[in-house]
Amino acid sequence: MLEPQGRFRLRIDWTLLLLLVAICGLGLLNLYSASYNVKNPMFTQQIYWIFIGFSAFLITATIDYRVYNKVAYVIYAIGVLTLILVLVTGFVKHGSRRWLIIGPMRLQPSELFKIAIILALAHFVDASPPKTEQGRTLQELIGPSLLAGFPFLLIMIQPDLGTGLLVLLIFFSIMFLLRLRIRSVITLLSSIIVLAPLVWTFVLQTYQKNRILVFLDPASDPSGHGWHYRQSIFAIGSGEWAGKGFLSGTQSKFHFLPAQWSDFPFSVWAEEWGLIGSILLLGLYIWLVLLSISLAKSARDRFASVICLGVGAMFFWHVIINVGMVMGLLPIVGVTLPLFSHGGSSMLTFMVGAGLLMSVSSRRYAFE
Amino acid sequence: MRRLLPSENSEFGKKFRYAQIFIVSCFLILAGRLVQLQVVYGKEYRALSNHNFLQKRRIDAPRGVIYDREGTVLAKNVVSFNVYITPIFFKERSFQFLVRLLDLPQSDIDFIKHRIMMSEGRRRTYSLLAIRDIPKEWAMILESNKTYLRGLEIVPQEKRFYPQGALASHLLGFVGEVSREDLEQYREMSYLPLDWRGKSGVEWKYEKELRGRRGFVWRVLDARGRRVRDVKAHRWMPHPWRKDPVPGENIHLTIDAQVQRAVERALSVYNSGAAVVMEVNTGKILAYTSKPSFDPNELSGKLSSTRAHEIYANPHKPMLDKVSQGTYFPGSTYKVIPAIAAVEEQLVQNDEYHLCKGWYEYGRNSSFRCTHSHGLMNIHSAVVSSCNVFFFMLSERVGMDRMARYARLFGFGTPTGLGLNHEKGGFIPTKQWYAQKFMQGFRIGHTLNSAIGQGNVKVTVLQSAMVYGAIATRGKLMQPQIIDRITDYQGNVVQGFTPIVKRDLGFKPETYDFIISSLSGVVNEPTGTAYKGRIHGLMVAGKTGTAQVRKINRDALNKEEAKWSHLDHAWFAGFAPVEKPEIVVVVLIEHVGVFASKAAVPVTMNIIRKYFEFSRNQKR
Repeated sequence: MLEPQGRFRLRIDWTLLLLLVAICGLGLLNLYSASYNVKNPMFTQQIYWIFIGFSAFLITATIDYRVYNKVAYVIYAIGVLTLILVLVTGFVKHGSRRWLIIGPMRLQPSELFKIAIILALAHFVDASPPKTEQGRTLQELIGPSLLAGFPFLLIMIQPDLGTGLLVLLIFFSIMFLLRLRIRSVITLLSSIIVLAPLVWTFVLQTYQKNRILVFLDPASDPSGHGWHYRQSIFAIGSGEWAGKGFLSGTQSKFHFLPAQWSDFPFSVWAEEWGLIGSILLLGLYIWLVLLSISLAKSARDRFASVICLGVGAMFFWHVIINVGMVMGLLPIVGVTLPLFSHGGSSMLTFMVGAGLLMSVSSRRYAFE
Repeated sequence: MRRLLPSENSEFGKKFRYAQIFIVSCFLILAGRLVQLQVVYGKEYRALSNHNFLQKRRIDAPRGVIYDREGTVLAKNVVSFNVYITPIFFKERSFQFLVRLLDLPQSDIDFIKHRIMMSEGRRRTYSLLAIRDIPKEWAMILESNKTYLRGLEIVPQEKRFYPQGALASHLLGFVGEVSREDLEQYREMSYLPLDWRGKSGVEWKYEKELRGRRGFVWRVLDARGRRVRDVKAHRWMPHPWRKDPVPGENIHLTIDAQVQRAVERALSVYNSGAAVVMEVNTGKILAYTSKPSFDPNELSGKLSSTRAHEIYANPHKPMLDKVSQGTYFPGSTYKVIPAIAAVEEQLVQNDEYHLCKGWYEYGRNSSFRCTHSHGLMNIHSAVVSSCNVFFFMLSERVGMDRMARYARLFGFGTPTGLGLNHEKGGFIPTKQWYAQKFMQGFRIGHTLNSAIGQGNVKVTVLQSAMVYGAIATRGKLMQPQIIDRITDYQGNVVQGFTPIVKRDLGFKPETYDFIISSLSGVVNEPTGTAYKGRIHGLMVAGKTGTAQVRKINRDALNKEEAKWSHLDHAWFAGFAPVEKPEIVVVVLIEHVGVFASKAAVPVTMNIIRKYFEFSRNQKR
């Protein structure tokens, strides 16, 4: 059952595995420093989460990805139901209803939903190939648009701008990689331009707008929203070439960085390890993302390719948005740094994503 | 051997390449930004992040102490309790609790509510001064309720205290918080907000010496502005991390608190006036009084606006230093100038007599009045009885400009150089001045008025003391001085003050003999204007003066006040003992309305008597 056709030679993708271990290890090291003088068991928590994450990774990787193809819509449906459940009974923190409490854990279903949307889109693309040689028409994109659009709205109601944005970005990344008619591409792009002001007016909350405004003009409010920005940039910049050294980052030690373990871990890292450490970390991420693209290229079928693209896009956008944000290139949104940020839902999501990559990667080879 | 299975994903085609290019370029942008932040601007951000958590806390230097010549403390520092509030922690509940706990004045409540609690941005994390100088009992109440008053801190800080109260208040002056203008104006003094600064008197004049040098200590703060009290915090501190303040220099005044007190007691029956006592041989000032006085403790602390208004609206002008800042008609005390000029220039002989009928005529229809008909007068008896008629006659001979020259020689018309309280120079008119100032130009009448210290002649009490001192010492015009020495906090003298002879007047000995004997006659001859006030067993010499004011006080609120301000001033300027002068005393009583002999003379004699009592006691 697990290996329906049983004619693959299972191979472990050591590069992928080592990349995961390396990023998790550095993340743990960084969290140790970030939470050094905070009376909070974040560090031990994170160790538990890494264990849970790796177990999830192993389970996901062991199962043949073609099984996922079959149950993709079921997972998607469960995902959507959970999102609705969150809106009904979710736990409220900082004014948004994002969390479900399961035993000792607090889970953020919207994070995990990113996996569900990747699977659902992959299934859709696999099940309905383009009808003509010119590529897919807009009509053919209505289905996946609905698949992504409905949960996007559910997430934005919570509200969770970061995750909502990620769902959209994953969706668009996959769609643009498909063979599309030129006309459809133009229509799609122009509709985004039209939609953006509508989203600004009706969807975004005041605090989210403020963050974007401050991003556009950081000097406008140096002590309020802009303050986080400047502190993060001070932290990164003050790292200089080689950093201030492990446990010596003053910006994090004296709590000048907001949410330095979940949203701003990169600032902590860059402050203590400097340009050398930052480039090393970014190098690991780019390696991982490029690896998932090459997996998509060499995958056996369209479903596997889309999964690799989706997971790759998820990693890519998380890194770009989070690092871009802490360096003052993008507005501040709550987007985690993959495998690096403190937090269970995020860890679990990326580990399952990586598990999907591993599942695809190990099933590309034929028996000799 | 491993062999990749064939792929069925031809749909993506070349797009993988585009994706790879896109991904790599995005990462390159991030890397570029990293280089920009960490390498290009790295040093700046390092400095900024240091500035972030390191706070240089000032340690204020204790202000120098002011002593009198015997070592009595006139101004020192005492601990006062100031309430500081950090807005982010000070919530509505703490505020309500505070209001219930203390009987705060409404102004303080408003200040906390509208200025402190409404602070914005990073300022919210600062510890802000909310209430200055609370009573000790309040400090104890607050300290014991600290748990309910989060964000409130009681900081002991020094404030100025004048243990003798209002004693010599105009001389000492008072201190106040530096104003925004001061910060701008005195950049070289590197003031910081909340610093004390002398606002008048010695506190103002010797601000540089009294102030001392501020020290500092570095503190490590977290993002909430809270102090990190970790030993390891030192790791981030710059060197040196602490500099102790240098206390201000101590000032030893020439004032004798005992004499000063006697002077103030002697003047106490009068509302408004001034008195100064000076050593004739050194120019050192022993007492310096202006009435009404003020309590420098009140002015240096929290002065409510109603109280401030009260002080400034007082018609007796408590804030005016009437010794060196107020200028007055000298009245007959000025007669020594034309008298000395006439004798020195041999314009009058001792045996030249004139008849005083009670008035003096000159020109067609002008007549100048005398106090009464004196009969036959020579220069000596004219001084003794203060006969105006004789001096009218004399002034015509001396002339306006010669009189002015002698007055200036004595130091009238320019500030003495004591430099306190924006000292005034008074005014000595000349012919040229009248010619420019008046439509009709100069007239003889102006000379006549000047000779008796009226018209446009204005002098200060301090100038008069200097002039009579110069007469007493037979021509040594001494620079009045108020500082005996300045010492640093370890007691080393950093600045000594030796007596300064401004100039030797260099008159003939006969001139001094004449003027001293005449001034002695004022007190010791039965016809003298101060005869009734003489002291048995002590020869005093001096001159009375009754200055007509004729000032119309338009601001006067009621008739009584208006009338008061029309009354004459009473003067007495004198020195003692005649044979070997030690001190010169000048007393001015403003708007007293009686002849000098009845007001200023008894006060002066009282002071002189006290002084010699004290000095006799000391010698024993």
